[in-house]
Amino acid sequence: MALEQLSDVVQRCQALPDDSYTSEDHDVFSIAGQTCIEDGNSAQVLSIILDEKNQDLVRCMGWNLLPALIKVLLRKEDKHLHHCLAILNHLLETCRPKELLIGLLEQLEQDDAVTIAESIHLLLNPLQKVLLCLGSRKASSLSMTLSSVLDQVAKLPLPQTKDQEEDDVFSLCRCCTDLIVFIRPFVHEVRQHLLNSREQSENTDKTEGKQDKENELRTELLKFCMKSLSHPLLEVQLKDPDTLLVSPLRDFATEILNTLSDIGESLASLVHQPLLKRKQLPGFLEEEVRYPKESLASLTHLVFVHHLAADTFPSVFNPVFSLRCNMEHICFLLSRMEETRIQKGLELYEKSLVRVVDGSLPAELLEIKTFLTVPQNLVKVMTICSRHDLRIKSLKVFQLNIDKFDTEAKYNFFQYMLKISGHSGVEGYIIKNIKNQIDVTLQPGNSNTWFEGAHLLPLLRKVLILPDGPETDLLQYLDRVMESLNLLRYLVIRDKVTENQTGIWTELYKIEDMFMKPLRVGLNMSRAHYEKELQNTMEAKKSKAKEEPMLSVSVGDEKLPNMTSESQIQALHSALHTFDMIESVLVRIEELIDVKENL
Amino acid sequence: MSSGATVAAARTASAVFALLTLHHEGSTELKMAAAPVREWSDEQLKSDDLPKKDIIKFIQDNAAHSFLNDHKLLGNIKNVAKTAKKEQLIIAYNQLFESKRFKGTEPVEEVTEQVKAVKIEEKPKEVKTEVVDEGPPKFTKSVLKKGDKTNFPKKGDTVSCWYTGTLEDGTVFDTNIPTAAKKKKQAKPLSFKVGMGRVIRGWDEALLTMSKGETARLEIDPEWAYGKKGVPESKIPPNAKLIFEVELVAVD
Repeated sequence: MALEQLSDVVQRCQALPDDSYTSEDHDVFSIAGQTCIEDGNSAQVLSIILDEKNQDLVRCMGWNLLPALIKVLLRKEDKHLHHCLAILNHLLETCRPKELLIGLLEQLEQDDAVTIAESIHLLLNPLQKVLLCLGSRKASSLSMTLSSVLDQVAKLPLPQTKDQEEDDVFSLCRCCTDLIVFIRPFVHEVRQHLLNSREQSENTDKTEGKQDKENELRTELLKFCMKSLSHPLLEVQLKDPDTLLVSPLRDFATEILNTLSDIGESLASLVHQPLLKRKQLPGFLEEEVRYPKESLASLTHLVFVHHLAADTFPSVFNPVFSLRCNMEHICFLLSRMEETRIQKGLELYEKSLVRVVDGSLPAELLEIKTFLTVPQNLVKVMTICSRHDLRIKSLKVFQLNIDKFDTEAKYNFFQYMLKISGHSGVEGYIIKNIKNQIDVTLQPGNSNTWFEGAHLLPLLRKVLILPDGPETDLLQYLDRVMESLNLLRYLVIRDKVTENQTGIWTELYKIEDMFMKPLRVGLNMSRAHYEKELQNTMEAKKSKAKEEPMLSVSVGDEKLPNMTSESQIQALHSALHTFDMIESVLVRIEELIDVKENL
Repeated sequence: MSSGATVAAARTASAVFALLTLHHEGSTELKMAAAPVREWSDEQLKSDDLPKKDIIKFIQDNAAHSFLNDHKLLGNIKNVAKTAKKEQLIIAYNQLFESKRFKGTEPVEEVTEQVKAVKIEEKPKEVKTEVVDEGPPKFTKSVLKKGDKTNFPKKGDTVSCWYTGTLEDGTVFDTNIPTAAKKKKQAKPLSFKVGMGRVIRGWDEALLTMSKGETARLEIDPEWAYGKKGVPESKIPPNAKLIFEVELVAVD
């Protein structure tokens, strides 16, 4: 039936000039033609399409057959593939590019991941053919195409492990590879134009109109690269050649970097972009839109952590300068919540620091905002991030950062962190570092003005103090208090009263007032309080009186069970042990002071 | 660090030696020369037109070291002017002519005092990490093609260059010069702001000595290149001396 209808309309239109086809003609052709194809009559449709007499008709209406055609092709039934492909090819050669483009792009939108991947694989080649027919008008169409394709790719699940990448069940890797093949002729065109325009740079610009078009094309490719750097590249963990010898994702990343170079975007300029004051290019996009921060951060990570495109990246830059530039990217990555971003931020930070000699970063760097913001971000990761490995890594990088500062910078950094960290564990960690620095300074040949003498005392005063005086919650501030005690004990042992290199002996009376005495008081109060609590709890347990607790705690919508009496008692014992521990160090210090002062 | 201290010590030693020699040669002349003459009358001294500094300078130039010491007139003129009142200076000035404790009247002590004085002034006031005189530059340059000898980059200028970097064994670790094999890549000269610590020190220092159009061969010691760390990803081993052929194409 459909075949007859098709033949009819075709016959009728053979006689008419193409501008007098009615909309009814269009509709009949479209519906009948598509029905034939779906019914399996593609051979007949092919012969109609190929018929010399029908070429005008095909040029006008042929593109309407695309939906059915592609549906059948995606079904991959061998029987009809051959004919359908032939129809498709003929349409691509005959119909108007703009119309074909619309028809093809519509077919990219599919419902499920598998079909999305298949349609991308099927359609990229035809789309390329069509775009290449558009000549100098292709930029905006390329823009539409790339935008649609990337939107579809974003719907595909990402391989996380090496095995998943190898299996590529959802064909993401294949899509990436296809994309690279797709853009190749356009990249080539831009590259050729750049080479030619450079050679002709002396001549007057008669081809200005053409240059604008080429710039548009270049801009679209730049947009594509920037988008790809964000997704999928920032989301996936690339595997190194040792882990996975052939990695389509790594190849994709490399090709994106190469493409950027080919279209005249220097990788070094992109990496250093936050620090360079770029001239506002008379282009189509503003700086921040043109070079999204996230994409640049992703690029920097690829270059510095995975060493991709290493042969195009100059090896003459000062490692400290590279660190300064990278800090901007690191800051961006570490201030995000997604663990993928945080992990890449940490990796980039580590790689950038490792290239710098220990103790070489000067104090002036701390005047740069990122050098203060990034450690704060690290503290957040260390204390709040739900992934254990990231918490560990951020602490490692935090220490690495400290090790790279010179003495004055360390001093300033410690002061700053003590002031702003707001976390007892971090403060304790800093205090331990201070102790280590003092230890290094007291060794022969390492004398400096920061960790002994005049400068040390202000720092010590910030350390050897109880945050809330005698009312300080010793359990909450345990880390900090213990490290402070350890530091004090160290100083009292290490520094001879007669030498007083650290100034501790002249300062001691103040420390006793501000730290040791309040601590004594605090310990006594805390111990009394917890002993009473323990007594109460044990009595309550004995009498089996179940007191309804006044508070409940929920985590993620689940109410936690109330602590059993046993757990409560355990906790209280543990607290009392802690106070014993603190006291033992305090007593030891007092003994040492006694002994030394009486020598 | 140590080279700086050594240089400072050397300076001190040579200054002392020079002083000793000068003094030894000059002492007889000085004794025989006429004693200094009063430049100003009491009225002139008291006048506001006569700045303290001038009086101090005169006394410092002509008085014996021990005299200056006694009257607290040793040291930098500016500092002395801050602490000394005009009245004190007038008194000192008059005392000088009364006691005749001019320069050269106490030779032996003089030398010792002056040696001490020299030493004190030579001591650096602040311990800075950057020592001005670090010793010889850690690179060598041989000019392969002369530049225009007019356009030399200054610190902060943007320079553009073509370059090839090799290790001592000849391995090329980096270049931005397009070759037949590398036609694939878009080639542009490397542009950066010179003298700002953006590149390795050897480059910063060397490029400031080059003029536009010059091609030079630079041999850079590791201390001014990538030092102990090297750059493993770029095939630069630790403690590597780097050799660059650089052509300075543009200076902005």
